[in-house]
Amino acid sequence: MDLGNVASLSLFYPEIVLAGTILVLTILDLVVANKRAMAYLGLAGCLVALGATVDLYGTEPTLLFHRMVALDNFSLFFKVVTLAALVGAIWMSIGSGEVRQVHLGEYYIVLLTCGFGMFFMASANNLLMAYLGLELVSLTSYILTGMLPHNRRSAEAALKYLIYGGVASGTMIYGMSWVFGMAGSLDYATINAAMAEGGGNQIALFMAFVFILAGFGYKMAFAPFHMWSPDVYQGAPTPFTGFLSVASNAAGVAILIRFFYPAVSTLGQEGAWAFQALPALQWTDLLVALSIITMTWGNLSALNQRNVKRLLAYSGIAHAGYIMMGLVVLNNDGLNAMLFYVVVYLIMNLGAFLVVMIVANATGREDMDAYRGLAWRGAAFPAVCMMVFLASLTGLPPMAGFIGKLLLVAAIIEGQFYVLAVVAMINTVVSLYYYWRIVKTMFLDEPAPEDGPVAATASAMPLLGALMVLTIVLGVYWAPLLDYTTGSLGFFMP
Amino acid sequence: MEIPIHVLVFYLVALVVVGSACIVAFSRNIVHSAFSLLGTFGGVAALYVFLGADFVAAVQVLIYVGGILVLILFAVMLTHRISDIDITNRTVGRIPGLVAGAVFLGILVYAIAGTDWAKAREVAFEPTTAAIGNLFLGEYLLPFQIAAVVLLVALIGAITLSRKEIKE
Repeated sequence: MDLGNVASLSLFYPEIVLAGTILVLTILDLVVANKRAMAYLGLAGCLVALGATVDLYGTEPTLLFHRMVALDNFSLFFKVVTLAALVGAIWMSIGSGEVRQVHLGEYYIVLLTCGFGMFFMASANNLLMAYLGLELVSLTSYILTGMLPHNRRSAEAALKYLIYGGVASGTMIYGMSWVFGMAGSLDYATINAAMAEGGGNQIALFMAFVFILAGFGYKMAFAPFHMWSPDVYQGAPTPFTGFLSVASNAAGVAILIRFFYPAVSTLGQEGAWAFQALPALQWTDLLVALSIITMTWGNLSALNQRNVKRLLAYSGIAHAGYIMMGLVVLNNDGLNAMLFYVVVYLIMNLGAFLVVMIVANATGREDMDAYRGLAWRGAAFPAVCMMVFLASLTGLPPMAGFIGKLLLVAAIIEGQFYVLAVVAMINTVVSLYYYWRIVKTMFLDEPAPEDGPVAATASAMPLLGALMVLTIVLGVYWAPLLDYTTGSLGFFMP
Repeated sequence: MEIPIHVLVFYLVALVVVGSACIVAFSRNIVHSAFSLLGTFGGVAALYVFLGADFVAAVQVLIYVGGILVLILFAVMLTHRISDIDITNRTVGRIPGLVAGAVFLGILVYAIAGTDWAKAREVAFEPTTAAIGNLFLGEYLLPFQIAAVVLLVALIGAITLSRKEIKE
């Protein structure tokens, strides 16, 4: 179906609820003195939008607003992921000492708008919409990164992020202009029709795709577009870092899959996609190379990090590389594994950042020394949770991360990309070293005399417990999530 | 063979755009760079005229030449000691940069020359404003609204970032 503006509104209520929450917060910010109430209102808005999104799940795929956005299970899946990340981030922000220093009203408004932009990154069916969604997410991310007052690191991170982001999005829109020039339209269906005829000049198309990949890859933080990530992760307020690490990655995956699969490829028999736009060039070889470089670079750089947020940034780059593996096989199994991994990564990484925030609240520090003997300084529960999250990030059974990695590796082995599979295995072993160094510091190192007790932030405990339970439960009983991701591969086919 | 006058004018405008863009990039004096943007922005407005986009051309002059350029000049002139900052990041070197740039340019030119670009219809020089208005409230309503959200949040962000103190 293909709906006009007014008819679309009835299928657009998650976005309307979220936009309404943003506007109400903007107005309330002027009159309400108790800014903490803003957090609860934002949380309520996200939960209502989440309910609405889940309610829409399974609707017949439809194009809304004159083919601008697609409503299908795929976009709804990523909206659920975004909203879950928003709920987690707001909950974290309520307990965060860092966030208390910023202008709370504006913080929540901009945070929600960032999530709102991700909705359009996931559902755009037109290059113009894709670009607008991506810019909305980028702009809000720069603002949130630089929000900490009188903090040089935060300001430096925001500036670096802005400059890299400007270059990446300029590159991307240049690539989009090439695609427009060849297909004669920004609409994905027209682009698809043009590509199905062979796509025209191979070199020009290849260049255009590489440019576009640069813009999307910058959101996902894969090499060589990852330079911003360590500084931004370190400089930004921790709850936002947590949100950025999972939601920006998810939105990048969404926009990437939507463009390179339904828009330029064709779905054939048994979930295999034909990427027929570039018959003369080996597109998958490029993706394999990018994936290998990304995971290796991320893991090797993480080895020497002393700051836990920076370490998690490099680990995030490595995980972007793992997720990329799902792209190379060009079939639905790979995509399914990617979606599964996005959910698992959301849970475990948000949890890890939650522990970072708890430690930073109590000690004001984020370096490895602050974790010395954490388990024996009154924070045994956060320390145990951190161990679970790190085990899951490494990919050890019986954690959810193990299943996620297993699905990805199974997909590439089936696609006979053995080199990639071996590199991924070796990388997992490398990552064991730096993840478990944190665990060792937390449990085996003696606390130094100057390390005070760590008071665990009370409001964060329920979220921490829930994330830990989910990490373990999804590691042993993953079938429901796998069913959900399989069902979410329903694309609107142009 | 005689070259039509509008083709000559087009190449003149293109020369101005690229020439001033080069000055923006290569000038050692940031004030000169800022002033050279005038040529780039004005030239782009002229390119819009060649495409029959009268409204966009007028907006380009009003917003880019009249607004953004003046803003940039203000920012440059009001910034204390903007021209003598230490650049700590050394460049890799001119020769490798030039070679890489030239190779890249070569690939781009080769790709552009070999591509069968989708051609627009004949350019019609008639008013476009009404059609743009209709499209904004019709087919392009959603992007128009989202652009409004982008501007709103940019405004909020700019205000938040520029007043950093918190009153307790």
